[in-house]
Amino acid sequence: MSMRGIVNSARTLSYYRRLQEVTANNLANASTDAFKADRMTARQLPGQEYPVPIEQTDLEQGRLRETGRPLDVGLEGPGYFVVSTPRGERLTRGGSLRLDASGCLMDGRGDPLVGAEGPIRVNGAQVEIRADGTVLVDGTGAGRLRIETVDEPALLLKEGAGRYVPRGALRPVPETQVFVRQGSVEEANLDPLLSMVALVNIQRSYGANIDALKVLDGVLGSVTNSVGRVQ
Amino acid sequence: MNSSLRTSASGMAAQQRMIDVIANNLANVNTTGFKRSRMSFEDVLYETLQGSRSSTAQGSETVGPVQIGKGVRIGAVLRLHGQGAPESTQRPLDVAIEGDGFFQVQRPDGTTAYTRDGSFTLSDSGTLVTNGGHAVLPVITVPGDATSITIGPDGTVSAIGAGSQTPVELGRIELARFVNSCGLLSIGENQYVETPAAGQPMTGSPQEDGFGRVLQGALETSNVEIVQEMTDMIAAQRAYEINAKAITASDEMAKAASGLVR
Repeated sequence: MSMRGIVNSARTLSYYRRLQEVTANNLANASTDAFKADRMTARQLPGQEYPVPIEQTDLEQGRLRETGRPLDVGLEGPGYFVVSTPRGERLTRGGSLRLDASGCLMDGRGDPLVGAEGPIRVNGAQVEIRADGTVLVDGTGAGRLRIETVDEPALLLKEGAGRYVPRGALRPVPETQVFVRQGSVEEANLDPLLSMVALVNIQRSYGANIDALKVLDGVLGSVTNSVGRVQ
Repeated sequence: MNSSLRTSASGMAAQQRMIDVIANNLANVNTTGFKRSRMSFEDVLYETLQGSRSSTAQGSETVGPVQIGKGVRIGAVLRLHGQGAPESTQRPLDVAIEGDGFFQVQRPDGTTAYTRDGSFTLSDSGTLVTNGGHAVLPVITVPGDATSITIGPDGTVSAIGAGSQTPVELGRIELARFVNSCGLLSIGENQYVETPAAGQPMTGSPQEDGFGRVLQGALETSNVEIVQEMTDMIAAQRAYEINAKAITASDEMAKAASGLVR
Protein backbone atom coordinates (compact mmCIF):
# COMPACT_ATOMS: atom_id res chain seq x y z
CA MET A 1 0.00 0.00 0.00
CA SER A 2 2.70 2.35 1.04
CA MET A 3 4.68 1.67 -2.14
CA ARG A 4 1.80 2.94 -4.23
CA GLY A 5 1.79 6.11 -2.18
CA ILE A 6 5.44 6.63 -2.99
CA VAL A 7 4.85 6.07 -6.71
CA ASN A 8 1.94 8.53 -6.67
CA SER A 9 4.04 11.09 -4.84
CA ALA A 10 6.80 10.68 -7.40
CA ARG A 11 4.30 11.23 -10.22
CA THR A 12 2.98 14.32 -8.50
CA LEU A 13 6.54 15.62 -8.16
CA SER A 14 7.17 15.04 -11.83
CA TYR A 15 4.00 16.98 -12.63
CA TYR A 16 5.25 19.96 -10.63
CA ARG A 17 8.62 19.74 -12.33
CA ARG A 18 6.90 20.04 -15.70
CA LEU A 19 4.75 22.85 -14.42
CA GLN A 20 7.96 24.60 -13.39
CA GLU A 21 9.40 24.08 -16.89
CA VAL A 22 6.28 25.57 -18.49
CA THR A 23 6.40 28.58 -16.16
CA ALA A 24 10.13 29.05 -16.81
CA ASN A 25 9.46 29.00 -20.56
CA ASN A 26 6.69 31.58 -20.18
CA LEU A 27 9.04 33.85 -18.24
CA ALA A 28 11.90 33.34 -20.71
CA ASN A 29 9.55 34.57 -23.44
CA ALA A 30 8.30 37.63 -21.55
CA SER A 31 9.71 39.86 -24.33
CA THR A 32 8.95 37.62 -27.30
CA ASP A 33 6.62 39.28 -29.79
CA ALA A 34 3.23 37.61 -30.21
CA PHE A 35 4.11 34.93 -27.64
CA LYS A 36 1.14 33.16 -26.11
CA ALA A 37 1.66 31.89 -22.58
CA ASP A 38 1.00 28.25 -21.76
CA ARG A 39 -1.15 27.28 -18.81
CA MET A 40 -0.66 23.83 -17.38
CA THR A 41 -3.28 22.49 -15.05
CA ALA A 42 -4.09 19.00 -13.93
CA ARG A 43 -7.03 16.75 -13.56
CA GLN A 44 -7.48 13.58 -11.70
CA LEU A 45 -8.81 10.57 -13.51
CA PRO A 46 -11.11 8.28 -11.54
CA GLY A 47 -9.12 5.70 -9.62
CA GLN A 48 -5.88 7.59 -9.95
CA GLU A 49 -4.19 9.41 -7.12
CA TYR A 50 -1.85 11.60 -9.08
CA PRO A 51 -2.48 14.59 -11.37
CA VAL A 52 -2.54 14.17 -15.14
CA PRO A 53 -1.29 17.33 -16.85
CA ILE A 54 -3.49 19.19 -19.30
CA GLU A 55 -2.12 22.18 -21.04
CA GLN A 56 -3.76 25.10 -22.70
CA THR A 57 -2.25 27.94 -24.60
CA ASP A 58 -3.73 31.21 -23.48
CA LEU A 59 -4.94 32.69 -26.76
CA GLU A 60 -5.86 36.04 -25.32
CA GLN A 61 -4.88 39.10 -27.31
CA GLY A 62 -1.53 40.65 -26.35
CA ARG A 63 -1.11 44.38 -26.21
CA LEU A 64 -0.02 46.07 -29.42
CA ARG A 65 3.17 48.08 -29.13
CA GLU A 66 3.92 50.66 -31.76
CA THR A 67 7.38 50.37 -33.31
CA GLY A 68 7.03 52.52 -36.43
CA ARG A 69 8.80 49.91 -38.57
CA PRO A 70 6.75 49.43 -41.76
CA LEU A 71 7.37 45.67 -41.85
CA ASP A 72 6.23 45.07 -38.27
CA VAL A 73 2.73 43.67 -38.21
CA GLY A 74 0.46 42.71 -35.37
CA LEU A 75 -3.04 41.26 -35.39
CA GLU A 76 -5.90 42.71 -33.43
CA GLY A 77 -8.53 40.03 -33.07
CA PRO A 78 -8.51 36.28 -33.59
CA GLY A 79 -6.71 34.59 -36.47
CA TYR A 80 -3.28 33.99 -37.91
CA PHE A 81 -1.19 34.81 -40.94
CA VAL A 82 -0.36 31.79 -43.09
CA VAL A 83 3.31 30.94 -43.65
CA SER A 84 4.29 28.53 -46.38
CA THR A 85 7.17 26.34 -45.16
CA PRO A 86 8.83 23.31 -46.75
CA ARG A 87 6.97 21.17 -44.19
CA GLY A 88 3.56 22.61 -44.98
CA GLU A 89 1.50 25.60 -44.00
CA ARG A 90 2.04 27.12 -40.59
CA LEU A 91 0.19 29.83 -38.71
CA THR A 92 1.72 32.87 -37.07
CA ARG A 93 0.50 35.96 -35.28
CA GLY A 94 2.98 38.12 -37.11
CA GLY A 95 5.83 40.14 -35.69
CA SER A 96 8.83 41.53 -37.47
CA LEU A 97 8.65 40.61 -41.13
CA ARG A 98 11.51 40.89 -43.56
CA LEU A 99 12.11 40.67 -47.28
CA ASP A 100 14.11 38.09 -49.17
CA ALA A 101 16.36 38.91 -52.13
CA SER A 102 13.43 38.91 -54.55
CA GLY A 103 11.35 41.19 -52.31
CA CYS A 104 8.92 38.59 -50.94
CA LEU A 105 7.42 39.14 -47.50
CA MET A 106 8.91 36.62 -45.06
CA ASP A 107 8.34 35.82 -41.42
CA GLY A 108 11.16 36.09 -38.88
CA ARG A 109 12.49 32.63 -39.73
CA GLY A 110 12.58 33.32 -43.46
CA ASP A 111 9.59 31.56 -44.98
CA PRO A 112 7.07 33.50 -47.09
CA LEU A 113 3.81 34.83 -45.74
CA VAL A 114 1.24 33.99 -48.33
CA GLY A 115 -1.78 35.59 -49.86
CA ALA A 116 -4.43 33.84 -51.92
CA GLU A 117 -2.01 33.81 -54.88
CA GLY A 118 1.08 32.73 -52.99
CA PRO A 119 3.98 34.84 -51.71
CA ILE A 120 3.57 38.61 -51.82
CA ARG A 121 6.29 40.52 -53.60
CA VAL A 122 6.98 44.07 -52.59
CA ASN A 123 9.35 45.72 -55.02
CA GLY A 124 8.88 49.39 -54.54
CA ALA A 125 9.66 52.24 -52.24
CA GLN A 126 6.71 52.21 -49.91
CA VAL A 127 4.82 49.31 -48.40
CA GLU A 128 1.42 49.81 -46.93
CA ILE A 129 -0.40 46.98 -45.21
CA ARG A 130 -4.05 47.75 -44.64
CA ALA A 131 -6.21 46.57 -41.76
CA ASP A 132 -7.78 43.86 -43.94
CA GLY A 133 -4.37 42.48 -44.93
CA THR A 134 -4.19 44.11 -48.36
CA VAL A 135 -0.60 44.95 -49.26
CA LEU A 136 -0.06 48.07 -51.34
CA VAL A 137 3.30 48.81 -52.90
CA ASP A 138 3.64 52.45 -53.95
CA GLY A 139 -0.14 52.67 -53.98
CA THR A 140 -0.85 49.64 -56.16
CA GLY A 141 -2.16 46.35 -54.82
CA ALA A 142 0.35 43.53 -54.51
CA GLY A 143 -1.95 40.97 -52.94
CA ARG A 144 -3.79 40.27 -49.74
CA LEU A 145 -2.38 38.34 -46.81
CA ARG A 146 -4.41 35.32 -45.81
CA ILE A 147 -5.72 35.65 -42.28
CA GLU A 148 -7.13 32.34 -41.24
CA THR A 149 -7.87 30.17 -38.27
CA VAL A 150 -8.84 26.62 -37.39
CA ASP A 151 -12.01 25.37 -35.77
CA GLU A 152 -10.26 24.54 -32.52
CA PRO A 153 -7.33 26.89 -31.90
CA ALA A 154 -6.71 25.08 -28.59
CA LEU A 155 -5.39 22.11 -30.55
CA LEU A 156 -2.69 24.09 -32.36
CA LEU A 157 0.77 22.70 -31.86
CA LYS A 158 3.54 25.19 -31.17
CA GLU A 159 6.59 24.79 -33.33
CA GLY A 160 8.81 27.62 -32.08
CA ALA A 161 9.59 30.93 -33.82
CA GLY A 162 6.02 31.99 -33.16
CA ARG A 163 4.65 29.34 -35.49
CA TYR A 164 1.77 26.95 -34.97
CA VAL A 165 1.05 23.70 -36.75
CA PRO A 166 -2.62 23.67 -37.69
CA ARG A 167 -4.77 20.60 -37.16
CA GLY A 168 -7.77 20.40 -39.44
CA ALA A 169 -8.81 22.67 -42.25
CA LEU A 170 -8.05 26.38 -42.31
CA ARG A 171 -10.84 28.85 -42.75
CA PRO A 172 -10.65 32.61 -43.30
CA VAL A 173 -11.49 34.95 -40.44
CA PRO A 174 -14.19 37.51 -41.35
CA GLU A 175 -12.56 40.86 -41.94
CA THR A 176 -14.87 42.53 -39.44
CA GLN A 177 -13.28 40.53 -36.62
CA VAL A 178 -9.58 40.93 -37.20
CA PHE A 179 -7.41 43.90 -38.10
CA VAL A 180 -3.82 43.98 -39.28
CA ARG A 181 -1.85 46.73 -37.58
CA GLN A 182 1.15 47.85 -39.57
CA GLY A 183 4.03 49.37 -37.61
CA SER A 184 3.05 47.54 -34.44
CA VAL A 185 3.89 44.23 -32.85
CA GLU A 186 1.80 42.21 -30.45
CA GLU A 187 3.49 41.81 -27.09
CA ALA A 188 3.62 38.56 -25.16
CA ASN A 189 0.30 38.03 -23.37
CA LEU A 190 1.89 36.96 -20.14
CA ASP A 191 1.50 38.58 -16.77
CA PRO A 192 4.95 38.40 -15.13
CA LEU A 193 3.44 38.97 -11.70
CA LEU A 194 1.06 36.01 -11.97
CA SER A 195 3.93 33.90 -13.27
CA MET A 196 6.00 34.85 -10.23
CA VAL A 197 3.13 33.84 -7.96
CA ALA A 198 2.89 30.57 -9.87
CA LEU A 199 6.62 30.03 -9.39
CA VAL A 200 6.32 30.39 -5.60
CA ASN A 201 3.27 28.17 -5.58
CA ILE A 202 5.00 25.42 -7.53
CA GLN A 203 8.02 25.53 -5.26
CA ARG A 204 5.88 25.24 -2.11
CA SER A 205 3.68 22.47 -3.51
CA TYR A 206 6.77 20.59 -4.59
CA GLY A 207 8.23 20.98 -1.10
CA ALA A 208 5.01 19.75 0.50
CA ASN A 209 4.98 16.67 -1.70
CA ILE A 210 8.62 16.00 -0.87
CA ASP A 211 7.68 16.13 2.83
CA ALA A 212 4.78 13.75 2.24
CA LEU A 213 7.13 11.38 0.43
CA LYS A 214 9.55 11.52 3.34
CA VAL A 215 6.75 10.59 5.76
CA LEU A 216 5.70 7.67 3.55
CA ASP A 217 9.30 6.60 3.32
CA GLY A 218 9.64 6.78 7.09
CA VAL A 219 6.52 4.69 7.63
CA LEU A 220 7.70 2.10 5.14
CA GLY A 221 11.12 2.10 6.77
CA SER A 222 9.76 1.47 10.23
CA VAL A 223 7.46 -1.25 8.89
CA THR A 224 10.28 -3.13 7.22
CA ASN A 225 12.67 -2.67 10.10
CA SER A 226 10.44 -3.04 13.19
CA VAL A 227 7.69 -5.48 12.31
CA GLY A 228 8.63 -8.99 13.24
CA ARG A 229 11.52 -7.99 15.40
CA VAL A 230 11.50 -9.61 18.80
CA GLN A 231 12.47 -7.25 21.51
CA MET B 1 19.88 17.90 -16.01
CA ASN B 2 16.92 20.03 -15.11
CA SER B 3 15.87 21.59 -18.41
CA SER B 4 14.07 24.51 -16.81
CA LEU B 5 17.48 25.80 -15.69
CA ARG B 6 18.54 26.08 -19.32
CA THR B 7 15.20 27.59 -20.30
CA SER B 8 15.59 30.33 -17.70
CA ALA B 9 19.24 30.83 -18.62
CA SER B 10 18.20 31.48 -22.23
CA GLY B 11 15.77 34.10 -20.91
CA MET B 12 18.55 35.77 -18.94
CA ALA B 13 20.91 35.73 -21.94
CA ALA B 14 18.20 37.27 -24.13
CA GLN B 15 17.55 40.09 -21.68
CA GLN B 16 21.30 40.69 -21.42
CA ARG B 17 21.39 41.19 -25.21
CA MET B 18 18.42 43.51 -24.92
CA ILE B 19 20.39 45.64 -22.45
CA ASP B 20 23.36 45.62 -24.88
CA VAL B 21 21.19 47.03 -27.65
CA ILE B 22 19.62 49.63 -25.36
CA ALA B 23 23.09 50.66 -24.13
CA ASN B 24 24.22 51.19 -27.73
CA ASN B 25 21.11 53.25 -28.45
CA LEU B 26 21.75 55.40 -25.38
CA ALA B 27 25.45 55.78 -26.24
CA ASN B 28 24.41 57.22 -29.61
CA VAL B 29 21.78 59.60 -28.34
CA ASN B 30 23.80 62.52 -29.73
CA THR B 31 25.09 60.85 -32.90
CA THR B 32 24.00 62.66 -36.05
CA GLY B 33 21.61 60.60 -38.17
CA PHE B 34 21.75 57.60 -35.80
CA LYS B 35 18.85 55.18 -35.98
CA ARG B 36 17.86 53.22 -32.90
CA SER B 37 17.60 49.44 -32.93
CA ARG B 38 15.36 47.09 -31.10
CA MET B 39 15.55 43.40 -30.31
CA SER B 40 13.11 40.84 -31.55
CA PHE B 41 12.95 37.49 -29.77
CA GLU B 42 11.37 34.21 -30.76
CA ASP B 43 10.41 31.08 -28.87
CA VAL B 44 12.42 27.94 -29.59
CA LEU B 45 11.56 24.29 -30.05
CA TYR B 46 8.81 22.66 -28.07
CA GLU B 47 8.96 19.20 -26.61
CA THR B 48 5.61 17.57 -27.22
CA LEU B 49 4.86 15.24 -24.31
CA GLN B 50 1.50 14.30 -25.65
CA GLY B 51 -0.26 15.34 -28.83
CA SER B 52 -3.85 16.46 -28.95
CA ARG B 53 -6.24 13.56 -28.77
CA SER B 54 -9.83 12.65 -28.17
CA SER B 55 -10.59 12.00 -24.53
CA THR B 56 -13.79 10.05 -25.16
CA ALA B 57 -14.31 7.07 -27.39
CA GLN B 58 -16.73 9.02 -29.59
CA GLY B 59 -14.17 11.76 -30.11
CA SER B 60 -16.66 14.37 -28.99
CA GLU B 61 -14.20 15.98 -26.60
CA THR B 62 -10.63 16.70 -27.56
CA VAL B 63 -7.77 17.45 -25.24
CA GLY B 64 -5.13 19.93 -26.31
CA PRO B 65 -1.49 18.94 -26.71
CA VAL B 66 0.90 19.06 -23.76
CA GLN B 67 4.01 20.86 -24.88
CA ILE B 68 6.97 22.17 -22.97
CA GLY B 69 8.92 25.03 -24.49
CA LYS B 70 12.67 25.25 -24.24
CA GLY B 71 13.23 28.95 -23.89
CA VAL B 72 13.87 31.91 -26.10
CA ARG B 73 16.37 33.00 -28.71
CA ILE B 74 17.24 36.18 -30.52
CA GLY B 75 15.23 36.58 -33.71
CA ALA B 76 16.77 39.77 -35.04
CA VAL B 77 18.06 43.17 -34.14
CA LEU B 78 15.97 45.61 -36.14
CA ARG B 79 16.99 49.13 -36.95
CA LEU B 80 14.14 51.59 -36.88
CA HIS B 81 14.46 54.21 -39.57
CA GLY B 82 12.12 56.77 -38.10
CA GLN B 83 12.87 60.42 -38.81
CA GLY B 84 15.10 62.21 -36.32
CA ALA B 85 14.39 65.85 -35.56
CA PRO B 86 16.38 68.32 -37.68
CA GLU B 87 18.57 70.52 -35.53
CA SER B 88 19.65 73.89 -36.86
CA THR B 89 23.41 74.44 -36.93
CA GLN B 90 23.64 77.41 -39.36
CA ARG B 91 26.70 75.80 -40.90
CA PRO B 92 26.34 76.01 -44.71
CA LEU B 93 27.71 72.52 -45.37
CA ASP B 94 25.44 70.77 -42.87
CA VAL B 95 22.50 69.15 -44.56
CA ALA B 96 19.68 67.08 -43.16
CA ILE B 97 17.24 64.91 -45.08
CA GLU B 98 13.64 65.40 -44.11
CA GLY B 99 11.82 62.36 -45.41
CA ASP B 100 12.99 59.31 -47.27
CA GLY B 101 16.49 58.79 -48.68
CA PHE B 102 20.18 58.39 -47.92
CA PHE B 103 23.21 60.36 -49.11
CA GLN B 104 25.53 58.27 -51.25
CA VAL B 105 29.16 58.12 -50.21
CA GLN B 106 32.17 56.66 -52.01
CA ARG B 107 34.07 54.19 -49.83
CA PRO B 108 37.88 53.92 -50.18
CA ASP B 109 37.43 50.52 -51.85
CA GLY B 110 35.25 52.04 -54.57
CA THR B 111 31.91 50.75 -53.28
CA THR B 112 29.04 52.98 -52.33
CA ALA B 113 27.88 53.45 -48.77
CA TYR B 114 24.75 55.22 -47.61
CA THR B 115 24.33 57.67 -44.76
CA ARG B 116 21.84 60.04 -43.19
CA ASP B 117 24.65 62.07 -41.65
CA GLY B 118 24.97 65.24 -43.71
CA SER B 119 27.77 66.98 -41.82
CA PHE B 120 29.85 67.59 -44.94
CA THR B 121 33.09 69.48 -45.46
CA LEU B 122 35.24 70.30 -48.45
CA SER B 123 38.37 68.33 -49.32
CA ASP B 124 41.62 70.09 -50.24
CA SER B 125 40.60 69.80 -53.90
CA GLY B 126 37.24 71.41 -53.17
CA THR B 127 34.99 68.34 -53.47
CA LEU B 128 32.12 67.79 -51.09
CA VAL B 129 33.13 65.05 -48.62
CA THR B 130 31.78 63.57 -45.39
CA ASN B 131 33.30 64.14 -41.98
CA GLY B 132 35.46 61.08 -42.55
CA GLY B 133 36.76 62.38 -45.90
CA HIS B 134 34.70 60.15 -48.19
CA ALA B 135 33.41 61.81 -51.38
CA VAL B 136 29.69 62.49 -51.64
CA LEU B 137 28.21 61.07 -54.86
CA PRO B 138 27.74 62.44 -57.45
CA VAL B 139 30.99 64.36 -56.97
CA ILE B 140 30.41 68.07 -56.55
CA THR B 141 33.42 70.38 -56.70
CA VAL B 142 33.26 73.84 -55.21
CA PRO B 143 35.61 76.35 -56.86
CA GLY B 144 38.27 77.76 -54.57
CA ASP B 145 37.08 81.36 -54.90
CA ALA B 146 33.49 80.65 -53.86
CA THR B 147 32.27 82.98 -51.15
CA SER B 148 28.98 81.38 -50.31
CA ILE B 149 27.41 78.00 -50.96
CA THR B 150 23.69 77.42 -51.19
CA ILE B 151 22.04 74.01 -51.11
CA GLY B 152 18.40 74.12 -52.12
CA PRO B 153 15.62 71.86 -50.81
CA ASP B 154 15.79 69.96 -54.12
CA GLY B 155 19.52 69.22 -53.56
CA THR B 156 20.89 71.77 -56.04
CA VAL B 157 24.28 73.06 -54.89
CA SER B 158 25.22 76.51 -56.11
CA ALA B 159 27.99 78.94 -55.21
CA ILE B 160 28.69 82.61 -55.65
CA GLY B 161 32.21 83.26 -56.84
CA ALA B 162 34.40 86.17 -55.77
CA GLY B 163 33.42 89.43 -57.42
CA SER B 164 30.21 87.93 -58.78
CA GLN B 165 26.59 88.44 -57.80
CA THR B 166 24.95 85.52 -59.59
CA PRO B 167 25.06 82.00 -58.18
CA VAL B 168 26.52 79.28 -60.38
CA GLU B 169 24.98 75.83 -60.22
CA LEU B 170 27.63 73.23 -59.36
CA GLY B 171 25.58 70.04 -59.25
CA ARG B 172 22.74 68.30 -57.51
CA ILE B 173 22.88 65.97 -54.53
CA GLU B 174 21.35 62.58 -55.31
CA LEU B 175 19.66 60.38 -52.76
CA ALA B 176 19.14 56.64 -52.65
CA ARG B 177 16.45 54.63 -50.97
CA PHE B 178 15.57 51.02 -50.35
CA VAL B 179 12.38 49.01 -50.05
CA ASN B 180 13.58 47.66 -46.74
CA SER B 181 16.05 50.10 -45.26
CA CYS B 182 16.06 48.05 -42.02
CA GLY B 183 17.94 45.42 -44.00
CA LEU B 184 20.95 47.67 -44.58
CA LEU B 185 24.16 46.64 -42.89
CA SER B 186 25.66 49.15 -40.49
CA ILE B 187 29.41 49.59 -40.97
CA GLY B 188 30.10 52.35 -38.46
CA GLU B 189 30.83 56.01 -39.17
CA ASN B 190 27.04 56.42 -39.52
CA GLN B 191 27.23 54.54 -42.80
CA TYR B 192 25.37 51.59 -44.20
CA VAL B 193 26.00 49.25 -47.11
CA GLU B 194 23.39 47.46 -49.18
CA THR B 195 22.46 43.81 -48.61
CA PRO B 196 20.15 41.46 -50.50
CA ALA B 197 17.59 41.96 -47.72
CA ALA B 198 17.51 45.73 -48.20
CA GLY B 199 16.90 45.46 -51.95
CA GLN B 200 18.47 47.38 -54.79
CA PRO B 201 19.14 51.09 -54.23
CA MET B 202 16.82 53.39 -56.13
CA THR B 203 18.41 56.73 -56.76
CA GLY B 204 16.71 60.01 -57.45
CA SER B 205 16.71 63.68 -56.62
CA PRO B 206 15.39 65.23 -53.43
CA GLN B 207 11.74 66.31 -53.52
CA GLU B 208 11.04 64.02 -56.48
CA ASP B 209 9.47 60.54 -56.67
CA GLY B 210 8.81 60.38 -52.95
CA PHE B 211 12.30 61.38 -51.84
CA GLY B 212 12.59 63.74 -48.90
CA ARG B 213 13.82 67.28 -49.06
CA VAL B 214 17.21 68.56 -48.08
CA LEU B 215 17.63 71.20 -45.38
CA GLN B 216 20.77 73.30 -45.44
CA GLY B 217 22.24 74.45 -42.14
CA ALA B 218 20.69 71.62 -40.18
CA LEU B 219 21.59 68.10 -39.05
CA GLU B 220 19.30 65.19 -38.37
CA THR B 221 19.55 64.26 -34.72
CA SER B 222 19.50 60.69 -33.47
CA ASN B 223 15.99 59.17 -33.27
CA VAL B 224 16.75 57.68 -29.85
CA GLU B 225 14.32 58.82 -27.19
CA ILE B 226 15.90 58.60 -23.77
CA VAL B 227 12.63 58.03 -21.92
CA GLN B 228 11.72 55.15 -24.23
CA GLU B 229 15.13 53.54 -23.79
CA MET B 230 15.04 53.95 -20.02
CA THR B 231 11.64 52.30 -19.71
CA ASP B 232 12.78 49.48 -22.01
CA MET B 233 15.84 49.08 -19.84
CA ILE B 234 13.80 48.81 -16.66
CA ALA B 235 11.55 46.22 -18.31
CA ALA B 236 14.58 44.21 -19.47
CA GLN B 237 16.14 44.37 -16.03
CA ARG B 238 12.97 43.11 -14.36
CA ALA B 239 12.60 40.32 -16.90
CA TYR B 240 16.22 39.36 -16.21
CA GLU B 241 15.52 39.23 -12.47
CA ILE B 242 12.40 37.13 -12.91
CA ASN B 243 14.33 34.60 -14.97
CA ALA B 244 17.02 34.52 -12.29
CA LYS B 245 14.31 33.85 -9.69
CA ALA B 246 13.02 30.98 -11.84
CA ILE B 247 16.50 29.49 -11.78
CA THR B 248 16.61 29.76 -7.99
CA ALA B 249 13.21 28.07 -7.76
CA SER B 250 14.32 25.18 -10.02
CA ASP B 251 17.46 24.83 -7.98
CA GLU B 252 15.55 24.70 -4.69
CA MET B 253 13.28 22.02 -6.12
CA ALA B 254 16.24 19.94 -7.26
CA LYS B 255 17.83 20.36 -3.84
CA ALA B 256 14.64 19.22 -2.09
CA ALA B 257 14.47 16.17 -4.35
CA SER B 258 18.08 15.21 -3.73
CA GLY B 259 17.41 15.56 0.02
CA LEU B 260 15.14 12.51 -0.26
CA VAL B 261 18.11 10.19 -0.43
CA ARG B 262 19.19 9.20 3.05
